[in-house]
Amino acid sequence: MTQLLINALTSACLSLLISVSFWLIYATTRTFYITHAATITLGAYSCYWLTRQWGMPFPIAVLISIVVVATTFSAIDKVLFRGLRSAPFGWVGLVASIGLYVVLQNLISLRFGDETQVLHTTPIMEGQQIGDAFVSNSQILIVIISTFLFAGVVFLLENTKLGRAIRGVASNPDMCILLGIDKNLVIGWAIAIGSGLAATGGILSGLDSDINPMMGFRLLLNSVVVMIIGGASGIRCLPLAAIFLALAQHTTAYYLDAKWMDAVAFIILIVYLIWKPLGLGGRHFKKIEI
Amino acid sequence: MDYLLHLVVFVLIYGMVALSLNVASGFTQLISLAQAGFFGVGAYTSAILATQYGWPLWVDLPLGMMVAGVVALPVALVALRTVEDYFIICTMGMGVILFSVMNNWMELTRGPMGIPGIPAVSLFGHPLMEKWEWVLLAGLFYALVFWVAYNFKRSALGRILVGISEDEIFCQSLGKNVGLAKLQSFVLGAMLAAVPGALYAHYVSYIDPTSFTIHESIFVLSIIIVGGMGNLWGSLAAAAFMILVPEALRFVGLPSGVAANVRQMLYGAALILVIWLQQTKRSYP
Repeated sequence: MTQLLINALTSACLSLLISVSFWLIYATTRTFYITHAATITLGAYSCYWLTRQWGMPFPIAVLISIVVVATTFSAIDKVLFRGLRSAPFGWVGLVASIGLYVVLQNLISLRFGDETQVLHTTPIMEGQQIGDAFVSNSQILIVIISTFLFAGVVFLLENTKLGRAIRGVASNPDMCILLGIDKNLVIGWAIAIGSGLAATGGILSGLDSDINPMMGFRLLLNSVVVMIIGGASGIRCLPLAAIFLALAQHTTAYYLDAKWMDAVAFIILIVYLIWKPLGLGGRHFKKIEI
Repeated sequence: MDYLLHLVVFVLIYGMVALSLNVASGFTQLISLAQAGFFGVGAYTSAILATQYGWPLWVDLPLGMMVAGVVALPVALVALRTVEDYFIICTMGMGVILFSVMNNWMELTRGPMGIPGIPAVSLFGHPLMEKWEWVLLAGLFYALVFWVAYNFKRSALGRILVGISEDEIFCQSLGKNVGLAKLQSFVLGAMLAAVPGALYAHYVSYIDPTSFTIHESIFVLSIIIVGGMGNLWGSLAAAAFMILVPEALRFVGLPSGVAANVRQMLYGAALILVIWLQQTKRSYP
Protein backbone atom coordinates (compact mmCIF):
# COMPACT_ATOMS: atom_id res chain seq x y z
CA MET A 1 0.00 0.00 0.00
CA THR A 2 2.83 2.39 0.85
CA GLN A 3 4.47 1.36 -2.39
CA LEU A 4 1.31 2.26 -4.29
CA LEU A 5 1.23 5.72 -2.72
CA ILE A 6 4.91 6.29 -3.49
CA ASN A 7 4.56 5.23 -7.12
CA ALA A 8 1.43 7.36 -7.51
CA LEU A 9 3.21 10.37 -6.03
CA THR A 10 6.12 9.96 -8.44
CA SER A 11 3.94 9.72 -11.51
CA ALA A 12 1.78 12.59 -10.25
CA CYS A 13 4.85 14.82 -9.97
CA LEU A 14 6.02 13.85 -13.44
CA SER A 15 2.66 14.53 -15.07
CA LEU A 16 2.35 17.76 -13.07
CA LEU A 17 5.65 18.96 -14.52
CA ILE A 18 4.66 18.07 -18.07
CA SER A 19 1.13 19.39 -17.79
CA VAL A 20 2.39 22.74 -16.53
CA SER A 21 4.81 22.91 -19.45
CA PHE A 22 1.96 22.01 -21.81
CA TRP A 23 -0.28 24.63 -20.20
CA LEU A 24 2.29 27.38 -20.82
CA ILE A 25 2.12 26.65 -24.54
CA TYR A 26 -1.62 25.92 -24.72
CA ALA A 27 -2.66 29.03 -22.84
CA THR A 28 -0.57 31.43 -24.89
CA THR A 29 -0.93 29.94 -28.39
CA ARG A 30 -4.44 28.43 -27.97
CA THR A 31 -3.16 25.40 -29.84
CA PHE A 32 -3.26 21.82 -28.60
CA TYR A 33 0.42 21.28 -29.19
CA ILE A 34 0.87 17.51 -29.73
CA THR A 35 4.47 18.06 -30.88
CA HIS A 36 5.14 18.41 -27.17
CA ALA A 37 5.35 14.59 -27.02
CA ALA A 38 8.33 14.75 -29.39
CA THR A 39 9.87 17.49 -27.23
CA ILE A 40 9.79 15.18 -24.22
CA THR A 41 11.34 12.30 -26.15
CA LEU A 42 13.91 14.52 -27.81
CA GLY A 43 15.05 15.89 -24.45
CA ALA A 44 15.71 12.39 -23.13
CA TYR A 45 17.38 11.20 -26.34
CA SER A 46 19.66 14.22 -26.73
CA CYS A 47 20.82 13.67 -23.16
CA TYR A 48 21.41 9.99 -23.98
CA TRP A 49 23.30 10.91 -27.15
CA LEU A 50 25.51 13.48 -25.44
CA THR A 51 26.50 11.17 -22.61
CA ARG A 52 27.06 8.05 -24.73
CA GLN A 53 28.42 9.41 -28.00
CA TRP A 54 30.35 12.40 -26.70
CA GLY A 55 31.17 11.12 -23.23
CA MET A 56 29.95 14.26 -21.49
CA PRO A 57 29.35 14.23 -17.75
CA PHE A 58 25.67 13.80 -16.97
CA PRO A 59 24.78 17.25 -15.47
CA ILE A 60 26.37 19.14 -18.38
CA ALA A 61 24.57 16.94 -20.89
CA VAL A 62 21.27 17.64 -19.13
CA LEU A 63 21.83 21.40 -19.26
CA ILE A 64 22.89 21.38 -22.91
CA SER A 65 19.94 19.26 -24.01
CA ILE A 66 17.42 21.43 -22.17
CA VAL A 67 18.79 24.62 -23.72
CA VAL A 68 19.07 23.11 -27.21
CA VAL A 69 15.55 21.65 -27.13
CA ALA A 70 14.08 24.93 -25.83
CA THR A 71 15.67 27.06 -28.55
CA THR A 72 14.94 24.52 -31.31
CA PHE A 73 11.23 24.33 -30.58
CA SER A 74 10.94 28.08 -30.15
CA ALA A 75 12.48 28.48 -33.61
CA ILE A 76 10.26 25.76 -35.12
CA ASP A 77 7.20 27.54 -33.77
CA LYS A 78 8.30 30.82 -35.29
CA VAL A 79 8.85 29.28 -38.73
CA LEU A 80 5.99 26.79 -38.88
CA PHE A 81 3.14 27.56 -36.52
CA ARG A 82 3.00 31.35 -36.38
CA GLY A 83 1.34 31.52 -39.79
CA LEU A 84 -1.30 28.98 -38.77
CA ARG A 85 -2.63 30.81 -35.71
CA SER A 86 -5.04 33.01 -37.61
CA ALA A 87 -6.69 30.00 -39.30
CA PRO A 88 -10.49 29.91 -39.19
CA PHE A 89 -10.82 26.39 -37.76
CA GLY A 90 -9.55 25.36 -34.35
CA TRP A 91 -8.15 22.06 -35.56
CA VAL A 92 -5.55 23.48 -37.95
CA GLY A 93 -2.77 24.04 -35.43
CA LEU A 94 -3.48 20.75 -33.67
CA VAL A 95 -3.36 18.67 -36.85
CA ALA A 96 -0.19 20.40 -38.05
CA SER A 97 1.42 19.69 -34.67
CA ILE A 98 0.37 16.02 -34.97
CA GLY A 99 2.12 15.94 -38.36
CA LEU A 100 5.30 17.42 -36.89
CA TYR A 101 5.13 14.96 -33.99
CA VAL A 102 4.90 11.99 -36.37
CA VAL A 103 7.90 13.23 -38.37
CA LEU A 104 10.08 13.89 -35.30
CA GLN A 105 9.16 10.65 -33.55
CA ASN A 106 10.07 8.61 -36.62
CA LEU A 107 13.33 10.52 -37.05
CA ILE A 108 14.23 9.50 -33.49
CA SER A 109 13.22 5.89 -34.25
CA LEU A 110 15.40 5.88 -37.37
CA ARG A 111 18.43 7.31 -35.59
CA PHE A 112 18.29 5.38 -32.31
CA GLY A 113 16.09 2.37 -33.09
CA ASP A 114 12.75 1.39 -31.58
CA GLU A 115 14.29 -0.55 -28.69
CA THR A 116 14.30 0.61 -25.10
CA GLN A 117 17.58 2.25 -24.09
CA VAL A 118 19.08 2.88 -20.67
CA LEU A 119 19.62 6.54 -19.86
CA HIS A 120 21.36 6.58 -16.49
CA THR A 121 25.13 6.11 -16.45
CA THR A 122 25.64 5.12 -12.83
CA PRO A 123 24.67 1.66 -11.58
CA ILE A 124 21.21 1.42 -9.99
CA MET A 125 21.25 1.89 -6.22
CA GLU A 126 19.03 -0.12 -4.00
CA GLY A 127 17.27 2.99 -2.71
CA GLN A 128 15.72 3.76 0.62
CA GLN A 129 13.30 1.58 2.48
CA ILE A 130 10.21 3.13 4.04
CA GLY A 131 8.18 0.55 5.92
CA ASP A 132 7.69 -2.29 3.48
CA ALA A 133 8.19 -0.12 0.41
CA PHE A 134 11.25 0.86 -1.60
CA VAL A 135 11.97 4.33 -2.94
CA SER A 136 14.59 4.56 -5.64
CA ASN A 137 16.87 7.59 -5.86
CA SER A 138 15.41 8.59 -9.21
CA GLN A 139 11.93 8.70 -7.67
CA ILE A 140 13.17 11.07 -4.96
CA LEU A 141 14.83 13.16 -7.67
CA ILE A 142 11.59 13.32 -9.68
CA VAL A 143 9.53 14.46 -6.69
CA ILE A 144 12.02 17.13 -5.59
CA ILE A 145 12.79 18.58 -9.02
CA SER A 146 9.17 18.57 -10.24
CA THR A 147 7.89 20.30 -7.12
CA PHE A 148 10.71 22.83 -7.30
CA LEU A 149 10.09 23.58 -10.98
CA PHE A 150 6.33 23.86 -10.48
CA ALA A 151 6.90 26.33 -7.67
CA GLY A 152 9.29 28.15 -10.00
CA VAL A 153 6.62 28.46 -12.70
CA VAL A 154 4.08 29.72 -10.18
CA PHE A 155 6.61 32.30 -8.99
CA LEU A 156 7.36 33.28 -12.58
CA LEU A 157 3.69 33.78 -13.41
CA GLU A 158 2.89 35.73 -10.24
CA ASN A 159 5.90 37.90 -9.68
CA THR A 160 7.79 38.71 -12.85
CA LYS A 161 7.11 40.96 -15.81
CA LEU A 162 7.36 38.09 -18.27
CA GLY A 163 4.97 35.98 -16.18
CA ARG A 164 2.39 38.74 -16.08
CA ALA A 165 2.75 39.15 -19.84
CA ILE A 166 2.20 35.39 -20.30
CA ARG A 167 -0.95 35.52 -18.18
CA GLY A 168 -2.09 38.54 -20.12
CA VAL A 169 -1.66 36.83 -23.48
CA ALA A 170 -3.43 33.79 -22.05
CA SER A 171 -6.48 35.75 -21.00
CA ASN A 172 -6.81 38.30 -23.79
CA PRO A 173 -4.34 38.40 -26.69
CA ASP A 174 -5.94 41.37 -28.48
CA MET A 175 -5.91 43.55 -25.39
CA CYS A 176 -2.22 42.75 -24.92
CA ILE A 177 -1.40 44.16 -28.33
CA LEU A 178 -3.23 47.37 -27.41
CA LEU A 179 -1.21 47.63 -24.22
CA GLY A 180 2.07 47.30 -26.11
CA ILE A 181 2.97 43.74 -25.16
CA ASP A 182 4.77 41.97 -28.00
CA LYS A 183 2.53 38.91 -28.28
CA ASN A 184 4.86 36.89 -30.49
CA LEU A 185 7.82 37.51 -28.20
CA VAL A 186 5.82 36.37 -25.17
CA ILE A 187 4.67 33.25 -27.03
CA GLY A 188 8.26 32.54 -28.03
CA TRP A 189 9.35 32.72 -24.39
CA ALA A 190 6.43 30.59 -23.22
CA ILE A 191 7.31 27.91 -25.78
CA ALA A 192 10.99 28.02 -24.84
CA ILE A 193 10.20 27.64 -21.12
CA GLY A 194 7.57 24.97 -21.78
CA SER A 195 9.88 22.98 -24.04
CA GLY A 196 12.71 23.22 -21.52
CA LEU A 197 10.43 21.93 -18.76
CA ALA A 198 9.19 19.13 -21.02
CA ALA A 199 12.77 18.10 -21.83
CA THR A 200 13.49 18.00 -18.08
CA GLY A 201 10.42 15.82 -17.62
CA GLY A 202 11.61 13.49 -20.36
CA ILE A 203 15.05 13.14 -18.79
CA LEU A 204 13.57 12.52 -15.33
CA SER A 205 11.20 9.90 -16.70
CA GLY A 206 14.09 8.32 -18.58
CA LEU A 207 16.10 8.05 -15.37
CA ASP A 208 13.21 6.29 -13.69
CA SER A 209 11.99 3.94 -16.40
CA ASP A 210 14.39 4.03 -19.40
CA ILE A 211 13.70 5.61 -22.77
CA ASN A 212 12.07 4.62 -26.05
CA PRO A 213 10.72 6.68 -28.96
CA MET A 214 7.10 6.30 -27.79
CA MET A 215 7.66 7.49 -24.21
CA GLY A 216 6.68 11.11 -24.90
CA PHE A 217 3.23 10.30 -26.24
CA ARG A 218 2.14 8.31 -23.18
CA LEU A 219 3.45 10.98 -20.82
CA LEU A 220 1.70 13.67 -22.83
CA LEU A 221 -1.66 11.83 -22.86
CA ASN A 222 -1.67 11.71 -19.06
CA SER A 223 -0.66 15.34 -18.80
CA VAL A 224 -3.33 16.49 -21.23
CA VAL A 225 -5.94 14.72 -19.12
CA VAL A 226 -4.47 16.37 -16.01
CA MET A 227 -4.64 19.76 -17.68
CA ILE A 228 -8.24 19.35 -18.78
CA ILE A 229 -9.56 18.02 -15.47
CA GLY A 230 -7.52 20.65 -13.64
CA GLY A 231 -9.30 23.30 -15.67
CA ALA A 232 -7.28 24.87 -18.44
CA SER A 233 -7.88 28.40 -17.23
CA GLY A 234 -5.15 28.39 -14.61
CA ILE A 235 -2.48 26.21 -13.04
CA ARG A 236 -3.58 26.37 -9.40
CA CYS A 237 -5.60 23.16 -9.53
CA LEU A 238 -3.09 21.13 -11.54
CA PRO A 239 -1.40 19.45 -8.51
CA LEU A 240 -4.76 18.25 -7.24
CA ALA A 241 -5.72 16.87 -10.65
CA ALA A 242 -2.32 15.19 -11.09
CA ILE A 243 -2.55 13.43 -7.73
CA PHE A 244 -6.14 12.37 -8.37
CA LEU A 245 -5.33 10.89 -11.78
CA ALA A 246 -2.17 9.14 -10.59
CA LEU A 247 -3.99 7.62 -7.61
CA ALA A 248 -6.80 6.36 -9.84
CA GLN A 249 -4.35 4.88 -12.34
CA HIS A 250 -2.16 3.18 -9.79
CA THR A 251 -5.11 1.79 -7.87
CA THR A 252 -6.37 0.28 -11.13
CA ALA A 253 -2.93 -1.13 -11.86
CA TYR A 254 -2.83 -2.63 -8.37
CA TYR A 255 -6.27 -4.24 -8.32
CA LEU A 256 -6.84 -4.95 -12.03
CA ASP A 257 -3.87 -4.75 -14.35
CA ALA A 258 -1.32 -2.15 -15.45
CA LYS A 259 -2.43 -2.52 -19.05
CA TRP A 260 -5.66 -0.58 -18.39
CA MET A 261 -3.85 2.58 -17.17
CA ASP A 262 -4.19 4.52 -20.45
CA ALA A 263 -7.86 3.66 -20.74
CA VAL A 264 -8.51 4.74 -17.14
CA ALA A 265 -7.05 8.19 -17.82
CA PHE A 266 -9.50 8.76 -20.65
CA ILE A 267 -12.46 7.26 -18.84
CA ILE A 268 -11.82 9.77 -16.06
CA LEU A 269 -11.59 12.53 -18.66
CA ILE A 270 -14.94 11.52 -20.15
CA VAL A 271 -16.66 11.29 -16.77
CA TYR A 272 -15.30 14.74 -16.03
CA LEU A 273 -16.57 16.20 -19.27
CA ILE A 274 -20.05 14.89 -18.49
CA TRP A 275 -20.17 15.78 -14.83
CA LYS A 276 -18.04 18.89 -14.42
CA PRO A 277 -17.17 20.20 -17.87
CA LEU A 278 -15.24 23.22 -16.64
CA GLY A 279 -12.67 21.22 -14.69
CA LEU A 280 -11.61 21.53 -11.06
CA GLY A 281 -10.72 25.18 -11.55
CA GLY A 282 -14.37 25.73 -12.39
CA ARG A 283 -13.90 28.94 -14.32
CA HIS A 284 -15.76 29.70 -17.52
CA PHE A 285 -13.99 28.22 -20.50
CA LYS A 286 -14.89 28.67 -24.12
CA LYS A 287 -14.33 25.17 -25.49
CA ILE A 288 -17.32 23.50 -23.90
CA GLU A 289 -20.35 25.63 -24.37
CA ILE A 290 -22.73 24.67 -27.11
CA MET B 1 0.62 -8.11 -61.37
CA ASP B 2 -0.91 -9.75 -58.31
CA TYR B 3 1.06 -7.31 -56.20
CA LEU B 4 -0.41 -4.35 -58.06
CA LEU B 5 -3.95 -5.73 -57.65
CA HIS B 6 -3.22 -6.25 -53.95
CA LEU B 7 -2.29 -2.57 -53.68
CA VAL B 8 -5.48 -1.60 -55.49
CA VAL B 9 -7.52 -3.53 -52.90
CA PHE B 10 -5.70 -1.69 -50.13
CA VAL B 11 -6.28 1.68 -51.78
CA LEU B 12 -9.99 0.87 -52.05
CA ILE B 13 -10.20 -0.28 -48.41
CA TYR B 14 -8.42 2.78 -47.03
CA GLY B 15 -10.33 4.95 -49.48
CA MET B 16 -13.52 3.67 -47.85
CA VAL B 17 -12.19 4.48 -44.37
CA ALA B 18 -11.32 7.97 -45.61
CA LEU B 19 -14.84 8.34 -47.04
CA SER B 20 -16.34 7.34 -43.71
CA LEU B 21 -14.15 9.88 -41.91
CA ASN B 22 -15.29 12.44 -44.46
CA VAL B 23 -18.89 11.69 -43.54
CA ALA B 24 -18.10 11.89 -39.81
CA SER B 25 -15.98 15.02 -39.84
CA GLY B 26 -15.26 16.31 -43.33
CA PHE B 27 -18.42 18.41 -43.55
CA THR B 28 -18.63 19.67 -39.97
CA GLN B 29 -14.86 20.21 -39.58
CA LEU B 30 -15.07 18.34 -36.26
CA ILE B 31 -12.09 16.05 -36.65
CA SER B 32 -12.43 12.59 -35.15
CA LEU B 33 -9.40 10.49 -34.23
CA ALA B 34 -11.51 7.46 -33.28
CA GLN B 35 -12.07 6.32 -36.86
CA ALA B 36 -9.43 3.57 -36.80
CA GLY B 37 -11.17 2.32 -33.66
CA PHE B 38 -14.50 1.94 -35.49
CA PHE B 39 -12.68 0.38 -38.44
CA GLY B 40 -11.28 -2.07 -35.89
CA VAL B 41 -14.70 -2.71 -34.32
CA GLY B 42 -16.02 -3.69 -37.77
CA ALA B 43 -13.00 -5.90 -38.44
CA TYR B 44 -13.13 -7.63 -35.05
CA THR B 45 -16.90 -8.18 -35.12
CA SER B 46 -16.81 -9.87 -38.50
CA ALA B 47 -13.60 -11.79 -37.69
CA ILE B 48 -15.06 -13.19 -34.46
CA LEU B 49 -18.39 -14.06 -36.08
CA ALA B 50 -16.65 -15.69 -39.05
CA THR B 51 -14.15 -17.78 -37.06
CA GLN B 52 -16.38 -18.73 -34.09
CA TYR B 53 -19.70 -19.27 -35.86
CA GLY B 54 -18.66 -19.56 -39.50
CA TRP B 55 -20.97 -16.79 -40.65
CA PRO B 56 -20.33 -15.41 -44.15
CA LEU B 57 -19.43 -11.82 -45.01
CA TRP B 58 -22.98 -11.02 -46.10
CA VAL B 59 -24.19 -11.57 -42.53
CA ASP B 60 -21.28 -10.34 -40.45
CA LEU B 61 -20.71 -7.12 -42.38
CA PRO B 62 -24.13 -5.63 -41.51
CA LEU B 63 -23.74 -6.91 -37.95
CA GLY B 64 -20.32 -5.23 -37.77
CA MET B 65 -21.90 -2.00 -38.94
CA MET B 66 -24.54 -2.28 -36.25
CA VAL B 67 -22.00 -2.94 -33.50
CA ALA B 68 -19.89 0.00 -34.67
CA GLY B 69 -22.98 2.21 -34.64
CA VAL B 70 -23.94 1.05 -31.14
CA VAL B 71 -20.40 1.75 -29.90
CA ALA B 72 -20.32 5.13 -31.65
CA LEU B 73 -23.58 6.39 -30.15
CA PRO B 74 -22.41 6.92 -26.54
CA VAL B 75 -19.04 8.11 -27.86
CA ALA B 76 -20.79 10.76 -29.93
CA LEU B 77 -23.11 11.76 -27.09
CA VAL B 78 -20.11 12.51 -24.88
CA ALA B 79 -17.68 13.88 -27.46
CA LEU B 80 -20.18 16.21 -29.13
CA ARG B 81 -20.56 18.17 -25.89
CA THR B 82 -17.16 19.64 -26.72
CA VAL B 83 -15.90 21.61 -29.71
CA GLU B 84 -12.73 22.10 -31.75
CA ASP B 85 -9.57 20.78 -30.13
CA TYR B 86 -11.33 19.34 -27.09
CA PHE B 87 -13.40 17.25 -29.49
CA ILE B 88 -10.23 15.92 -31.11
CA ILE B 89 -8.69 15.05 -27.74
CA CYS B 90 -11.95 13.40 -26.66
CA THR B 91 -12.19 11.22 -29.78
CA MET B 92 -8.50 10.44 -29.46
CA GLY B 93 -9.28 9.18 -25.97
CA MET B 94 -12.06 7.00 -27.39
CA GLY B 95 -9.56 5.65 -29.91
CA VAL B 96 -7.15 4.79 -27.10
CA ILE B 97 -9.94 3.11 -25.10
CA LEU B 98 -11.10 1.04 -28.10
CA PHE B 99 -7.50 0.00 -28.77
CA SER B 100 -7.05 -0.95 -25.10
CA VAL B 101 -10.14 -3.13 -25.26
CA MET B 102 -8.96 -4.87 -28.44
CA ASN B 103 -5.49 -5.31 -27.00
CA ASN B 104 -6.45 -6.43 -23.49
CA TRP B 105 -9.78 -8.27 -23.58
CA MET B 106 -8.09 -11.64 -24.02
CA GLU B 107 -11.26 -13.81 -23.90
CA LEU B 108 -12.92 -12.04 -26.79
CA THR B 109 -10.17 -10.71 -29.05
CA ARG B 110 -7.16 -12.86 -28.07
CA GLY B 111 -5.30 -9.59 -27.37
CA PRO B 112 -1.96 -8.97 -29.08
CA MET B 113 -1.98 -12.50 -30.57
CA GLY B 114 -4.71 -11.44 -32.98
CA ILE B 115 -7.27 -13.60 -34.75
CA PRO B 116 -5.84 -15.87 -37.46
CA GLY B 117 -7.60 -17.99 -40.08
CA ILE B 118 -10.51 -15.76 -41.04
CA PRO B 119 -12.17 -17.60 -43.96
CA ALA B 120 -12.23 -16.13 -47.46
CA VAL B 121 -15.44 -14.66 -48.82
CA SER B 122 -17.43 -17.07 -50.95
CA LEU B 123 -19.88 -16.03 -53.62
CA PHE B 124 -22.49 -18.63 -54.68
CA GLY B 125 -20.31 -21.37 -53.24
CA HIS B 126 -17.23 -20.17 -55.08
CA PRO B 127 -14.51 -18.83 -52.71
CA LEU B 128 -12.86 -15.63 -53.87
CA MET B 129 -9.17 -16.47 -54.03
CA GLU B 130 -7.94 -14.48 -57.03
CA LYS B 131 -6.81 -10.90 -56.51
CA TRP B 132 -8.88 -9.53 -59.38
CA GLU B 133 -12.03 -10.94 -57.82
CA TRP B 134 -11.17 -9.04 -54.65
CA VAL B 135 -10.61 -5.86 -56.64
CA LEU B 136 -14.14 -6.24 -58.05
CA LEU B 137 -15.63 -6.95 -54.60
CA ALA B 138 -13.83 -4.03 -52.94
CA GLY B 139 -14.73 -1.82 -55.90
CA LEU B 140 -18.39 -2.76 -55.52
CA PHE B 141 -18.38 -1.87 -51.84
CA TYR B 142 -16.43 1.30 -52.56
CA ALA B 143 -19.09 2.34 -55.04
CA LEU B 144 -21.81 1.63 -52.47
CA VAL B 145 -20.07 3.62 -49.70
CA PHE B 146 -19.34 6.41 -52.16
CA TRP B 147 -22.99 6.49 -53.23
CA VAL B 148 -24.10 6.76 -49.60
CA ALA B 149 -21.56 9.49 -48.83
CA TYR B 150 -22.37 11.41 -52.02
CA ASN B 151 -26.10 11.44 -51.37
CA PHE B 152 -25.48 12.24 -47.72
CA LYS B 153 -23.50 15.30 -48.76
CA ARG B 154 -26.31 16.46 -51.08
CA SER B 155 -29.10 15.75 -48.60
CA ALA B 156 -30.71 18.34 -46.34
CA LEU B 157 -28.72 16.90 -43.44
CA GLY B 158 -25.44 17.29 -45.32
CA ARG B 159 -26.21 20.93 -46.02
CA ILE B 160 -26.88 21.53 -42.31
CA LEU B 161 -23.47 19.98 -41.56
CA VAL B 162 -21.71 22.34 -43.97
CA GLY B 163 -23.64 25.15 -42.32
CA ILE B 164 -22.37 24.01 -38.91
CA SER B 165 -18.79 24.20 -40.12
CA GLU B 166 -19.33 27.80 -41.16
CA ASP B 167 -21.37 29.14 -38.26
CA GLU B 168 -22.93 26.79 -35.75
CA ILE B 169 -24.89 29.34 -33.75
CA PHE B 170 -26.37 30.97 -36.84
CA CYS B 171 -27.36 27.53 -38.10
CA GLN B 172 -29.10 26.90 -34.80
CA SER B 173 -30.92 30.21 -35.03
CA LEU B 174 -32.47 29.07 -38.33
CA GLY B 175 -34.22 26.31 -36.39
CA LYS B 176 -31.95 23.46 -37.42
CA ASN B 177 -31.32 20.73 -34.89
CA VAL B 178 -27.55 21.10 -34.79
CA GLY B 179 -26.84 18.51 -32.11
CA LEU B 180 -28.91 15.81 -33.80
CA ALA B 181 -27.26 16.49 -37.17
CA LYS B 182 -23.78 16.14 -35.70
CA LEU B 183 -24.82 12.96 -33.87
CA GLN B 184 -26.25 11.41 -37.03
CA SER B 185 -23.19 12.19 -39.12
CA PHE B 186 -20.83 10.82 -36.48
CA VAL B 187 -22.73 7.56 -36.07
CA LEU B 188 -23.18 7.12 -39.82
CA GLY B 189 -19.43 7.69 -40.29
CA ALA B 190 -18.65 5.02 -37.70
CA MET B 191 -21.03 2.54 -39.37
CA LEU B 192 -19.49 3.17 -42.78
CA ALA B 193 -16.02 2.62 -41.27
CA ALA B 194 -17.10 -0.90 -40.30
CA VAL B 195 -17.62 -1.85 -43.96
CA PRO B 196 -13.93 -1.65 -44.94
CA GLY B 197 -13.18 -3.20 -41.53
CA ALA B 198 -15.08 -6.38 -42.37
CA LEU B 199 -13.57 -6.49 -45.88
CA TYR B 200 -10.08 -5.98 -44.43
CA ALA B 201 -10.53 -8.86 -41.96
CA HIS B 202 -11.70 -11.25 -44.68
CA TYR B 203 -9.07 -10.11 -47.16
CA VAL B 204 -5.97 -10.23 -44.94
CA SER B 205 -7.39 -13.25 -43.00
CA TYR B 206 -5.40 -12.27 -39.90
CA ILE B 207 -6.03 -9.20 -37.73
CA ASP B 208 -4.32 -7.87 -34.61
CA PRO B 209 -4.80 -4.63 -32.65
CA THR B 210 -1.74 -2.89 -34.14
CA SER B 211 -3.74 -2.22 -37.34
CA PHE B 212 -6.17 -0.05 -35.38
CA THR B 213 -3.94 2.27 -33.33
CA ILE B 214 -4.14 6.02 -33.02
CA HIS B 215 -1.42 6.24 -35.68
CA GLU B 216 -3.78 4.56 -38.11
CA SER B 217 -6.37 7.24 -37.32
CA ILE B 218 -3.76 9.89 -38.02
CA PHE B 219 -2.98 8.17 -41.31
CA VAL B 220 -6.65 8.27 -42.36
CA LEU B 221 -6.85 11.89 -41.22
CA SER B 222 -3.86 12.76 -43.37
CA ILE B 223 -5.62 11.11 -46.34
CA ILE B 224 -8.69 13.31 -46.02
CA ILE B 225 -6.64 16.44 -45.37
CA VAL B 226 -4.44 15.84 -48.40
CA GLY B 227 -7.57 15.04 -50.44
CA GLY B 228 -9.42 18.05 -49.10
CA MET B 229 -11.91 18.04 -46.22
CA GLY B 230 -15.35 17.06 -47.46
CA ASN B 231 -14.08 16.34 -50.96
CA LEU B 232 -15.18 12.79 -51.83
CA TRP B 233 -13.22 12.29 -55.07
CA GLY B 234 -10.17 13.82 -53.41
CA SER B 235 -10.22 11.07 -50.76
CA LEU B 236 -9.72 8.35 -53.37
CA ALA B 237 -6.89 10.19 -55.09
CA ALA B 238 -5.23 10.95 -51.77
CA ALA B 239 -5.62 7.35 -50.57
CA ALA B 240 -3.94 6.13 -53.76
CA PHE B 241 -1.17 8.70 -53.33
CA MET B 242 -0.55 8.00 -49.64
CA ILE B 243 -0.43 4.23 -50.11
CA LEU B 244 1.37 3.96 -53.44
CA VAL B 245 4.20 6.42 -52.76
CA PRO B 246 5.55 4.55 -49.71
CA GLU B 247 5.22 1.28 -51.66
CA ALA B 248 7.36 2.79 -54.40
CA LEU B 249 10.08 3.31 -51.80
CA ARG B 250 10.37 -0.46 -51.54
CA PHE B 251 11.80 -0.59 -55.04
CA VAL B 252 14.44 1.99 -54.17
CA GLY B 253 15.85 -0.66 -51.85
CA LEU B 254 15.00 0.59 -48.37
CA PRO B 255 15.12 -2.17 -45.75
CA SER B 256 11.67 -2.99 -44.37
CA GLY B 257 12.48 -1.76 -40.85
CA VAL B 258 13.37 1.67 -42.17
CA ALA B 259 10.50 1.69 -44.68
CA ALA B 260 7.84 1.70 -41.93
CA ASN B 261 9.38 4.80 -40.36
CA VAL B 262 9.85 6.52 -43.71
CA ARG B 263 6.20 5.82 -44.57
CA GLN B 264 5.01 7.45 -41.35
CA MET B 265 7.36 10.39 -41.88
CA LEU B 266 5.97 10.89 -45.37
CA TYR B 267 2.41 11.17 -44.19
CA GLY B 268 3.37 13.40 -41.28
CA ALA B 269 5.22 15.66 -43.69
CA ALA B 270 2.29 15.63 -46.14
CA LEU B 271 0.00 16.69 -43.30
CA ILE B 272 2.16 19.70 -42.36
CA LEU B 273 2.87 20.69 -45.95
CA VAL B 274 -0.77 20.64 -47.11
CA ILE B 275 -2.04 22.53 -44.06
CA TRP B 276 0.75 25.05 -44.31
CA LEU B 277 0.18 25.70 -48.01
CA GLN B 278 -3.58 25.94 -47.52
CA GLN B 279 -3.44 28.33 -44.62
CA THR B 280 -0.68 30.68 -45.70
CA LYS B 281 -2.03 30.96 -49.24
CA ARG B 282 -5.02 32.97 -48.09
CA SER B 283 -4.71 35.75 -45.58
CA TYR B 284 -7.25 36.16 -42.83
CA PRO B 285 -7.80 39.52 -41.21
